[in-house]
Amino acid sequence: MIQVSHLSKSYGGRPAIRDLSFTVEDGQIYGLLGPNGAGKSTIMNILTGYLAPSAGEVRVAGYLLPEQAQLAKGCVGYLPEQPPLYPEMTVQEYLDFVAELKGVKKSQRREQVLRAARRTGLEQVLPRLIRSLSKGYRQRVGIAQALLGDPKLIILDEPTVGLDPAQVIEIRNLIRELGKAHTVILSSHILSEVQAVCSQVLILSKGRLVAVGAPEELGEKLNPGSRLRATVLGDGKTVLAAVNAVPGICKVELEKEEQGEVTFTAESQDAADRRGQVSRALSGAGCTVLALAAENKSLEEIFLALTEETGGAPETQEHPEEEDDQ
Amino acid sequence: MNAIFKRELRSCFHGMIGYVLTAFMLVSTSIYFVALNLGYGLTDFGYYTLYRTIFMLLLYIPVLTMRSFAEERHSRTDQLLLTSPVPTWGIVLGKYFALCVIFAVPCVVDVAMILVLKVLGATAVSTAANFASLLCYYLMGCAAIAVGVFLSSLTENQIIAAISGVAALLLAYMMPSLRTMFTAGSAVALAVFTAIGAVLSVVAGLRSRSFTLGCLTFAGCCAALTALFLLQSSWLTEAFSAVLSALCLFTPFEDFVNSSFSIPTLVYYLTVAVLFLFFTVQGLEKRRWN
Repeated sequence: MIQVSHLSKSYGGRPAIRDLSFTVEDGQIYGLLGPNGAGKSTIMNILTGYLAPSAGEVRVAGYLLPEQAQLAKGCVGYLPEQPPLYPEMTVQEYLDFVAELKGVKKSQRREQVLRAARRTGLEQVLPRLIRSLSKGYRQRVGIAQALLGDPKLIILDEPTVGLDPAQVIEIRNLIRELGKAHTVILSSHILSEVQAVCSQVLILSKGRLVAVGAPEELGEKLNPGSRLRATVLGDGKTVLAAVNAVPGICKVELEKEEQGEVTFTAESQDAADRRGQVSRALSGAGCTVLALAAENKSLEEIFLALTEETGGAPETQEHPEEEDDQ
Repeated sequence: MNAIFKRELRSCFHGMIGYVLTAFMLVSTSIYFVALNLGYGLTDFGYYTLYRTIFMLLLYIPVLTMRSFAEERHSRTDQLLLTSPVPTWGIVLGKYFALCVIFAVPCVVDVAMILVLKVLGATAVSTAANFASLLCYYLMGCAAIAVGVFLSSLTENQIIAAISGVAALLLAYMMPSLRTMFTAGSAVALAVFTAIGAVLSVVAGLRSRSFTLGCLTFAGCCAALTALFLLQSSWLTEAFSAVLSALCLFTPFEDFVNSSFSIPTLVYYLTVAVLFLFFTVQGLEKRRWN
């Protein structure tokens, strides 16, 4: 669906994204994750043809940007960070307008608008002025707008920002639903959200791509030392000594010890599975193993590790519009 | 383009602005029409009403056009338009035609006024002259709208768009009198053209991020101007006064007021409109690359 190679963008000499390459496959939900100022909005603005890249090649649905922008834009539905709404219009008028703008045929317009409104739960507010809607409803109008024209690719910039928890869950369900028929890219700085809905994650930091992959995959790839967590019947010191003696285990931490039950975590140097060795070592030391499980690092830990590695404070701004005012 | 045209038209009459502006134009033309055409029984609508109310356009046009792009940019709805499968020129033309239609509303009432004069006994010739003047007046307004749309696309602040619009139109309005101050010889013309050349080279240098290119452009401009000054200095003065007269947006209308149908005048207004719409499209395109 999308091929990006060596993409860079700078605003007046300040780089916002640098040498980015990635591919987005059809029919999956991608999450763009990064701290503020990592370049998430810039990437989305480039993919939708709102901004032109400074260097590099971008293909959306097979069309080269910005040369074939018109064709590419026809395949993309976009919800920008701030929903592009006209407050003086009613929801119905607005959705009709966007449908016509996106070239939906007159005969299908009515039906498409109704369907988008139904999917986003807007049926009740169709005759209301956008000005009088709450933030959550406005966000939904923004999403409904992105669905019109039945685009192959839907790009959502922080779709759940400013919504209450119930609405967040609704929107997440909607995104999962959309992911069945469309390719979806969403950006977020909230980890749990990305973990909840995305099948692939792109982690950005300071304009660079630091990791790509499925959330579970990332855990394995970036955490070569796999981790074990076990509960054992026995004495704390004996247990620690026995596990420490297993070759390849580099760190053992005692979590708790009560009524003869010891819970600990052990990290090994590489990704190899050491459950068997640990279990045998424990049995050899005369302890009974009650539970033993391999653990992966959470996305949160990976995220922090990656973004801290590449530097702390962001030096680039996410909103080009604010500074290019002549 | 159709969608943008319809939305722009509707949004103008959703709030007060469309009605207030139309009323403003109607009141001003009616006062002149009643007082001069009807009061003194003068059949020349072009001069007594249209020509004398040109100064109303200096307020009407900038207020009409200030919202067009500045508001979209301010409320970030330009992201919707610029990421939709409508080409940039389609967006600009959609908005422009909507504004031209809004300006046509008071002109339709002017048609009624001309017909009233005909009923009251104006000759067929003077009625035809009145209609010709109205046509030219409308095209002049449309050219001014293109200037206003361009200025609005440069900023996201509507007030700045309006004020710069008033300033630009006022300059064009006063240019005939200002021009008499610049009747000077070719030396002044040379200085002014050198300044223009310097500005162009700075822009060229900045746009291409190349200091050498800027310097070369300026050197080229200077060489050409010096050669002209030494060999054909009359060309410089002529070119200078041609540039100044092209800036007098409201002067060509006088041809029509003097009851002559002048094709060059109509071409001039259409050219101004096309030129500024082209600038608007280029400005919007350029913003992508910043």
